Amino acid sequence: MVLEMKNIRKQFDGLEVLKDISFHVDSGEVVSIIGPSGSGKSTLLRCATFLETIDGGEILYMGEHAAHTDASGKAVYVHPKQLHRFRSYCGLVFQQFNLFPHYNVLKNLTDAPIHVQHRSREEAEETAMELLRKMGIADKANAYPYQLSGGQQQRVAIARALAMRPEILYFDEPTSALDPELTGEVLKVIRQLAEEKMTMVVVTHEMPFARAVSNRVIFMDGGVIVEQGHPEAVFGDPEQERTRQFLSNYQR
Amino acid sequence: MSFSTMFSTMGVGMLRTCSIFFLTLLFSLPLGMIVMFLRRSRIKVVQGITKVFIAIMRGTPLMLQLLVWYFGPYYLFGASIRGYRFTAIIIGFSVNYAAYFAEIYRGGIESIPVGQHEAAEVLGYSKSQTFLRIVLPQVVKRIMPSVTNEVITLVKDTSLAFTLAYNEVFSLAKQISASQTSFMPFVIAGVFYFIANYAVAFAMERVEKAFNYYR
Repeated sequence: MVLEMKNIRKQFDGLEVLKDISFHVDSGEVVSIIGPSGSGKSTLLRCATFLETIDGGEILYMGEHAAHTDASGKAVYVHPKQLHRFRSYCGLVFQQFNLFPHYNVLKNLTDAPIHVQHRSREEAEETAMELLRKMGIADKANAYPYQLSGGQQQRVAIARALAMRPEILYFDEPTSALDPELTGEVLKVIRQLAEEKMTMVVVTHEMPFARAVSNRVIFMDGGVIVEQGHPEAVFGDPEQERTRQFLSNYQR
Repeated sequence: MSFSTMFSTMGVGMLRTCSIFFLTLLFSLPLGMIVMFLRRSRIKVVQGITKVFIAIMRGTPLMLQLLVWYFGPYYLFGASIRGYRFTAIIIGFSVNYAAYFAEIYRGGIESIPVGQHEAAEVLGYSKSQTFLRIVLPQVVKRIMPSVTNEVITLVKDTSLAFTLAYNEVFSLAKQISASQTSFMPFVIAGVFYFIANYAVAFAMERVEKAFNYYR
């Protein structure tokens, strides 16, 4: 098991966003999280990547605790130095790309490997070029983010996350900021990664994509997991009325 | 007094004006960074004190501040202030400008999208790496126009040193004009300030252009 989250609770100013969420991700698995806006999907990803701290529950990576709940019911994280190691297990692709605008594409991909992971420049650049070729944008290595289309920027962002060699890659609505025309090229790249057995968790509104690519689909609403299972089961024959209702909005 | 004597006498003043200008920049630019960090401190007391400091620096005339810096030590502690004039001027200017620069820096830092911090955090950058490698370079580009404004104001503000009877260009112009009953010193001073600011604007434009490689 790459990731295990148990009984996760999180609130913002008294508003409960995550209510006792438990799920896990196995190695090589692709898990899609779907659900209406405000259902807590993004917050869950942000908790898994340590951008938000949980109020209660447990987070385990590779079977090791990054956070657990103490006797009083409050979540306790490991020492910041160890947390750094847990962070290195996960990569995150944002909806808004968040590339570094003052670095060119190559430097976006090599800066963290060199200065955070202390890998040699040579090796980091070699890895970066390999990833860019895979993403089909090797010719953009020296371009700056503003010179790229949204789809190209998002592919750079995926390559940047992969350059850190994460155990698991998270996507937070990776195509929501893109024109429908550019969505395809990003989804194609994610599909390719799935075929290579990259462990991934994708928060998405692209239902046909989630159905085709994932091994498992999680439907969230109101801060709880309403239903999860094989995509054909969840999409084809949902057990819960709420799931059915949500999915019907997508069938046109 | 011939034009050339007038000009060479004032030339000394120009050098003094330039030394106020460059020393103030040298001290206030980094000092502003420190003030900005204190202003953004999570410790409420530190933040509060810094806010009051900035409010005073911005809310009272620089001319008055110079007088306080110069005469303060004598009136408060009975200390001798002989030979302290130039130091008082540099302290007064640097501290005042640091307050303005701090607010410019703060504005720049707070304008950087939170996504930049988050991307850096997920990639494992430490707090200081995030600041130095990701945030600061973008801040410098963004605040350039405001800094240019402030630097140009400083060129003209150096004339306030006349309050402490320091013989920079403006004081000399006044003196020579009065003793020679001539309008010429004012023209010379005016042209000097204008050329100095033209040079500043030119240099800053160059710097801004150097940052144009990204948006």
